[in-house]
Amino acid sequence: MDQVNDQPNSSTHPAPVELKPMNMAATLAICSGGWLVPGLAHVLIGRWVRGLIFAACVLLMFAFGLAMHGKLYDLEFDEPLHVFAFIANIGTGIPYWIAERLNLGIGTMTWPSYDYGTTYLWVCGLLNYLIVLDAFDIAQGRKP
Amino acid sequence: MILSHFTALLLFALFVSTVFALITKNEPREQVRYGVFVFLSFLAVAFAVGWIMYPLPL
Repeated sequence: MDQVNDQPNSSTHPAPVELKPMNMAATLAICSGGWLVPGLAHVLIGRWVRGLIFAACVLLMFAFGLAMHGKLYDLEFDEPLHVFAFIANIGTGIPYWIAERLNLGIGTMTWPSYDYGTTYLWVCGLLNYLIVLDAFDIAQGRKP
Repeated sequence: MILSHFTALLLFALFVSTVFALITKNEPREQVRYGVFVFLSFLAVAFAVGWIMYPLPL
């Protein structure tokens, strides 16, 4: 009887789903879209809810960062260490370029929440990189 | 916009823990559990570091 109970039950242990990878060109196109517009990659893959939540998180962080007078960094060769901040900032994609064009993200160092705002702007870009990598894994069939 | 330190921390922890939970876990139940864990960890570490720094003359 014990041996019967130890047998794996097909109703509680469903068979693993075979994940089909997309071709690399489509995957890279989707990931590029996800970088430019946060959350778009997951929407294109068909993960609507996940994509919308990602978009909300990244864009809200970006908006809060700007509202807190955080600084958006440009590519400045005079200050080599600013390259890292620039790379973090451009992770947000199109919103970064829009904010730059609108002269937002100048950064007011005397503003009380300047440091928080700048950190928000860095982290939302870095999170978007992680989100794009997640979409890459899904598109390549590496995770469900 | 001026947020208090704690409000800024709360919002930061909320956004980051949400993204981490959705990226690292696949099942909704696991995502909620992990997201809450990361969120509370952010708060716990912030309180701990805050109390450690409290006696320091800054």
